[in-house]
Amino acid sequence: MSPFRARARAEIEAGPPAATLSPILRKLVADSRDQLSTASPSDARARAQAARAYAVDHLDELQEQLKESCARQGIGYHRAATAEEAVALVTQLLGDARRIAKSKSMVAEEVGLTHALRVRGKEVLETDIGEYIVDIEGRGPSHITAPALHLNRARIRELLAGAGEDVPDDDPVRLSRAVRDVVAEFFGEVDAGITGANAVIANSGRIVIVENEGNVSLGVSRPRLHIAITGMEKVVADEEAALAVLQVLAPSATAQPLTAYTHFLGAPDEGQERHLVVVDNGRSEILADERYRDVLRCIRCGACMNACPVYTAAGGLSYGSPYMGPIGAVVSPLLWRDGRHADLPSASSLCGRCSEVCPVGIPLHRMLLDLRAGEAENGGSRVEKVAWKSWAAAFAGRQGRAASWLARLGLRAGGRLPGLPISGSRPIPAANPPRDPAMLVPLDSIEPEPERAGEPLPEDVVSAFRERASVVGAVVVDEAEREDGDRRVRATAAVASTGSVLLAGEAAARGALMDARRIVVEVDEASVVRFPQELGPALAGDGDALILTGASRTADIEKQIVRGIHGPQALVVVVGSGTAQA
Amino acid sequence: MAKVALFVPCYMAALRPDDGGHARRVLERLGDEVQTILGPCCGQPAFNSGYRSEAKSVGRALLRAARGHETIVVPSGSCASMVKHYLPGLWAGPRGASIERMSERFVEFGAYVAAHPNVAALPLRLPGAVTYHDSCHGRRELGLTEGAVGLLEQVEGLDVRRLAYEDECCGFGGTFTVKEPEVSVAMARAKLEDVASRGVRVLVSGDLSCLAHLEATARATDQSLETWTLAELLDRALA
Ligand code: SF4
Repeated sequence: MSPFRARARAEIEAGPPAATLSPILRKLVADSRDQLSTASPSDARARAQAARAYAVDHLDELQEQLKESCARQGIGYHRAATAEEAVALVTQLLGDARRIAKSKSMVAEEVGLTHALRVRGKEVLETDIGEYIVDIEGRGPSHITAPALHLNRARIRELLAGAGEDVPDDDPVRLSRAVRDVVAEFFGEVDAGITGANAVIANSGRIVIVENEGNVSLGVSRPRLHIAITGMEKVVADEEAALAVLQVLAPSATAQPLTAYTHFLGAPDEGQERHLVVVDNGRSEILADERYRDVLRCIRCGACMNACPVYTAAGGLSYGSPYMGPIGAVVSPLLWRDGRHADLPSASSLCGRCSEVCPVGIPLHRMLLDLRAGEAENGGSRVEKVAWKSWAAAFAGRQGRAASWLARLGLRAGGRLPGLPISGSRPIPAANPPRDPAMLVPLDSIEPEPERAGEPLPEDVVSAFRERASVVGAVVVDEAEREDGDRRVRATAAVASTGSVLLAGEAAARGALMDARRIVVEVDEASVVRFPQELGPALAGDGDALILTGASRTADIEKQIVRGIHGPQALVVVVGSGTAQA
Repeated sequence: MAKVALFVPCYMAALRPDDGGHARRVLERLGDEVQTILGPCCGQPAFNSGYRSEAKSVGRALLRAARGHETIVVPSGSCASMVKHYLPGLWAGPRGASIERMSERFVEFGAYVAAHPNVAALPLRLPGAVTYHDSCHGRRELGLTEGAVGLLEQVEGLDVRRLAYEDECCGFGGTFTVKEPEVSVAMARAKLEDVASRGVRVLVSGDLSCLAHLEATARATDQSLETWTLAELLDRALA
């Protein structure tokens, strides 16, 4: 029995993962589809695919350029060839830093960073709510963007209680805030922040990170040292390319137009140090193999696992890899060449839904086929080899032999199909089934499903912006009284389709923003664009920038939205026409 | 009157040979002259398992059997997609190109019927209610959904109830059901719940392989269900 099968069987027997996952993921898939069709231009996926394909095809060149840009920005640029090197590098960069606030990073997960740093005596806190919870559980994340998706609220409450955090009931709001408080307290005294990166921009050296909770905002501003760790494929050519990726990332991942915070980190603040650790760990080998190189386009949105019926039935932990679902089944055996994940490409019915939803057009199910062929050639069980040889001999020859081969197979299986946990096997249906006319009579009538139609975006960008900004949780007003604890800033631009505001330079200073009670952002009507992809000119240069889309939030517990995690509890947007505002 | 070959795939010949007969009768009612090719295999089981040279030699036998036919109708979206999208890739260079041209002569049964010039004149009538299941390859690689549903909707008296999650896989996946039976069955059960929620007990699909998997699971879980191929439904609606 393959390791995947053994784990999946145990998961299904312990209480089917689908009971928790199926309703959540079905809704997420439908919402993502709506989000992509309303909040993004019709060619959003094609643009994202082109931006990522260009990056993969010019990887070495872009990394060279990135290195120079980092030097200009005063960001340390480091390459790690292996997981061990990555850990050693980060350890060395940390120096005597002891308390470390870590946010979500798939590459950190891949190289086992948190564990390795703890072994070296560092105090590492997972500051993302979902990561914090799975860290206490100790079985690892079950989803790349929603690590605690396999846990229901009751189990999370138990886990928190075990860690000394008693929460009176299992309300997701209270549970999320309990973790928030632990994290906020940790940030009171912290030596270094470690983050991932969703993209790094070659021509400006900016590091792009998306997040909802505000823990990244704290992690990159509070400590004197910030280290971003990322896979070498995450580089993109320029701001346009980064925007093309962002435009599909949150819709595909969480059905949001954009995440609450989208950071474009430039030069470190005064007295701060920033480093970028670029990890290879097998990616060069993938890049050199035509069959699989396009998997490096992946933006780790998780849409393929959201849509995957095998993932839904088996749960993410069954994959036994930090990368699960279809992307995990492709990339795990390519990153770990020791055969430990060789069974994962078989953990798919090849239905192709993953390839259909992937926003950067990775033909995942075709790669699974190639991986299976590779495994059959180089590994593969002897029994299976012999079986296929005999099958081929029967079907390539006269048909009489094929029939007898099928008959033999039927006899050997005792006329039954394997695989039902309750009865062990299933009867093969009769060859000429009797038909009962009564079966055509419906049991009851059903209401037709209501048509799902995402609200179309109003034509006028300013009204569209007002509408969408309130949908994402901002308070939209024409005027705002000054209040204590306000941080008042002016937006460089705003985006109608996502209800976002872009802050640049001093306005983006995270320290001041995170200390405020409210953020009040003044938006000039003339600066509103329709889609994120049009923010290019507003992002010119290489300075610090931040896109805000609603206030901080989390959906790490059963995908229930809880607003107001770290930082200001409200985002107020004042819309006006130009100079009258100043 | 068109001359067509009807390719009855291996598992249909073995599991439910009558379905070949249903398909043949529908084609004849459309006025075609039908010659049956019974029982070869498109090579998909081995191909999907990674055994490409075995798939190739089996696929070669099918192409040989199909030689000389202008149109080869396949009552399976899964086999049709294998022949059209994957088989040619097993041969390199000009040989692959010529096999690709040959593969264009294969057409899935529902798509063939839906596009037939005489289809509108078929007297289709069957009172009752059914739901429709797509095979993933038929849906995603061949785009068969609307053609098949259109045919069902053409049947007078038939209440066609679409599944709520029509684009989800039933969990068969060929050797997947043998290698990962627990997950495969969990997927079938999700599909069967969707079927039950439609208030119907007859499930129609272009692919017998999905149907056999779902029917076996329904029986083992005591869900009352008949599974009909699209060919059977059309044939019964013609009677
Ligand atoms: S493979 Fe595609 S869908 Fe899956 S995580 Fe990567 S980008 Fe997203």
